[in-house]
Amino acid sequence: MRKRKADVNATEIETEATGLPLNNKSRWESWKDNFKRRGWILLFILPAVIYILIFCYIPMYGILVAFQNYIPGDPIIGEGTQWVGWENFKTFFSNPNFLTYFKNTFLLCILGFIVGFPLPIIVALLLNSLRSKKAKKGLQILYYAPHFISLVVMVGMLELIFGSDGLIDQLSIQAGGDVNGLQLFLKPEAFRPLFIFSGNWQDFGWSAIIYLAALSGVDPSLHEAAKVDGASRFKRIFSVDLPAIAPTIVMLMILSVGNLMNCGYEKVLLMQTPGNLETSEILSTYVYTFGLLREQYGVGTAAGLFNSVINVVLLVIANFTSKKLANQSMW
Amino acid sequence: MKKPIIIIVAVVVWIACVIPFAMGTVKVSEGDHDFVVLAVKEDVVKDYNTMPVFEKLADETGLDVYWTFNTSMQYSNNPDPVGINGIDAIYHSGFSNLKLYDYGRRGRIIAIDEYLDSMPKFKEILKARPDIAEALKSPDGHIYSLPRVEEMGLKAYPNILFINKTWIEKLIDNGQMPSSVKLSKKDLTDGLDLSRDEFKAIIQKFNELDMDGDGSTTNEVPLAFVSGNWQGNESDFIASFGVPENKEHKTIVNDKVVFTIEDENWFRAISEMNEWFREGLIRSTSFTQSQDSFLANGQDGRYGAFYWWEKETVVANPDDYIIVQPLKDDDGNRYVGVSNELEIEKGECVILSTCEDPEELLGYFDKFFEPDYSAQLNYGSIESGAFLREEVDDKLIPNDDHGEQSADDFRMKNAPYGVVYLTKDEWANHVQMESRAVLRLERLKLYVKPHSYEGARGIPNLNYTEQELKDLNVHESSLGNNITKWMTNAIIGSSAPTRESWQSFLSQNKTAIEQIKAINQAAYDRYLKALQAEESQ
Repeated sequence: MRKRKADVNATEIETEATGLPLNNKSRWESWKDNFKRRGWILLFILPAVIYILIFCYIPMYGILVAFQNYIPGDPIIGEGTQWVGWENFKTFFSNPNFLTYFKNTFLLCILGFIVGFPLPIIVALLLNSLRSKKAKKGLQILYYAPHFISLVVMVGMLELIFGSDGLIDQLSIQAGGDVNGLQLFLKPEAFRPLFIFSGNWQDFGWSAIIYLAALSGVDPSLHEAAKVDGASRFKRIFSVDLPAIAPTIVMLMILSVGNLMNCGYEKVLLMQTPGNLETSEILSTYVYTFGLLREQYGVGTAAGLFNSVINVVLLVIANFTSKKLANQSMW
Repeated sequence: MKKPIIIIVAVVVWIACVIPFAMGTVKVSEGDHDFVVLAVKEDVVKDYNTMPVFEKLADETGLDVYWTFNTSMQYSNNPDPVGINGIDAIYHSGFSNLKLYDYGRRGRIIAIDEYLDSMPKFKEILKARPDIAEALKSPDGHIYSLPRVEEMGLKAYPNILFINKTWIEKLIDNGQMPSSVKLSKKDLTDGLDLSRDEFKAIIQKFNELDMDGDGSTTNEVPLAFVSGNWQGNESDFIASFGVPENKEHKTIVNDKVVFTIEDENWFRAISEMNEWFREGLIRSTSFTQSQDSFLANGQDGRYGAFYWWEKETVVANPDDYIIVQPLKDDDGNRYVGVSNELEIEKGECVILSTCEDPEELLGYFDKFFEPDYSAQLNYGSIESGAFLREEVDDKLIPNDDHGEQSADDFRMKNAPYGVVYLTKDEWANHVQMESRAVLRLERLKLYVKPHSYEGARGIPNLNYTEQELKDLNVHESSLGNNITKWMTNAIIGSSAPTRESWQSFLSQNKTAIEQIKAINQAAYDRYLKALQAEESQ
């Protein structure tokens, strides 16, 4: 019994290693064999597949609304569907504010990415090289705790601190500043910094977790060897830790570039005031105000689709670049 | 041991997943009803099903209409309320012109004009008031909703300026009155006559000194309003510079549709507001606060002056405040704009095409237009104590005395509002206006209306074509946003707005401005023509 099992394993290993069918078995048959024996493992990914199918693929036919004069209750495909071709896109692109929306979205997201992407990596590297395990645990909790503050509460806190009559304003009035305080919530130039820094404060600890997990997989013997060679603590971060988590970094980078143009419209909407509209109007708030509140579902969908197309293009570019430069890619 | 815990956790998770779905849907009560109507209603308002006025309606019509509710939040988050299973109509539907037409022509709501024979009262109204019939029509000539008509003559002028009399007295007593203002205590009555500069000099003192005596000189609010609100906004402050401003910045002067933002005086007003803001006379809260927080802040007695249409709801000490006439401009004239608020409101109630017997349901809603029902829908049921009935000519008189409860609170809880028909004739013969409304009318007549900008009128109910409705929808949303953006930034900016920035703001929005003007002008010309045709008949 035992011997036979060992034989089978040996055959499999060989098959996998060479990638060629052995014993004159066709590729298909060997695959079938493999599936019969170990196919049940696929069950583990089944829930994820079902989830993605139901929530991501099936609703996708809704983008057809971008080409229709749609009101809820109309069939998306069928009798009574009013097709309008590119009309909705024309309406969207001819909006005098279109370029502003686009610029605002792009700037807000790209700046958010530039600040927000390296931050958790640096934090994870620093935490990892702490000597005291206790300090590492304590700091880590301290860093990721803000992640659990709900968005509405978060913006409420920001308003209490930076808004009209808020802490900062009171302090500046007391210190003899302008009678109206700084009014950061009403200033268009303060919107992006407030948005980006509050967002990063909330999430850098949480995003560091994945890098910490990757770092925990680094072989300690590598560190020991480096120590023996006389590498400093700093040197070891660059020569041992960073290369170890590089694949993770590249993968996460590709993923976040693919999501670049989505930077959380809920928070933008919550932070919007008549004063900061100049910088706080982005594509996704346009989808909300025009598509949902003004009930122009077609135009709203067109704007959303435009945003997604940009995301896909960015994703492809990021993937291609990383394949060329770092030989790392998603596909 | 572990199994029960796992089961409990599983059940809790399952319930947590299901609750949000259960909450969003309308629960139609079990049992058979003739009709189920969805009403948009806040939780403080009593259940319509137990309101005496609806019980009486049921007795009279013999119809069992069941009311089910959405709060306005739930309602506005439901993209397709018309698709809710098992409802026959939506009350307080709030459908826009475009939405009524879109849903109507696709047959999702019914054309009410096809059922006029089962609505004798409504038919009579449409015949007697062709302007209402005209106002209700969609581009295809059909009427898709039941209206709310409440003609009190109040909505056109939604702002009255009030000032804190006791604070001025304090200034006079302490000899702190600015030398440019000649006021004695005798002058401090309703209708105070001030130029804008005098008003500014007074509220500058309000800003500098500790007027409310709490030891702090920073918490007084010299001038308060709610920017962009339908009442109590900054429009009439801007109008005082000689421009017929209203909330939409769009009005009709001598039969021409105009945008106030293009007026030189408008720019002058905004520049001045910026100066007032930098001096701390206008606070940024006036641009960020909601109506509710404005009212709540007023209760603290820290308002020096404020715009609203009555003082009684705003401050806890209304006797301390007096009415200031519209502020005199440098040339000694007073100007007030006219709002675009309509007294004939479309979209109050729509009947869904899934309703099996629209004749009967519309017959029921027809009763709403009768004066006795209209009055009760508007103020509360007779049985709940909303009215005293006058013996002599059987007129309904609103009861102002509700014990501990304020008249406002009582009305909010007991009146369903919605579809009503209250015009001159009803006010004269069937229902008396609330004393608050009478007071407001009197104040407007004395202090506000005489100063209405010459030749200005609000934009009436206009009939647009399908293309016009679509174009308006596109242009209005972007322009409205851009005006708010430019105006707010200009007012709260740290330096005065430049003429160049105003001009470039106008030229950036030129297409939208011209389009909206042209569309409204065309529709208004048609409106005038129809009116003339009617008169000549």
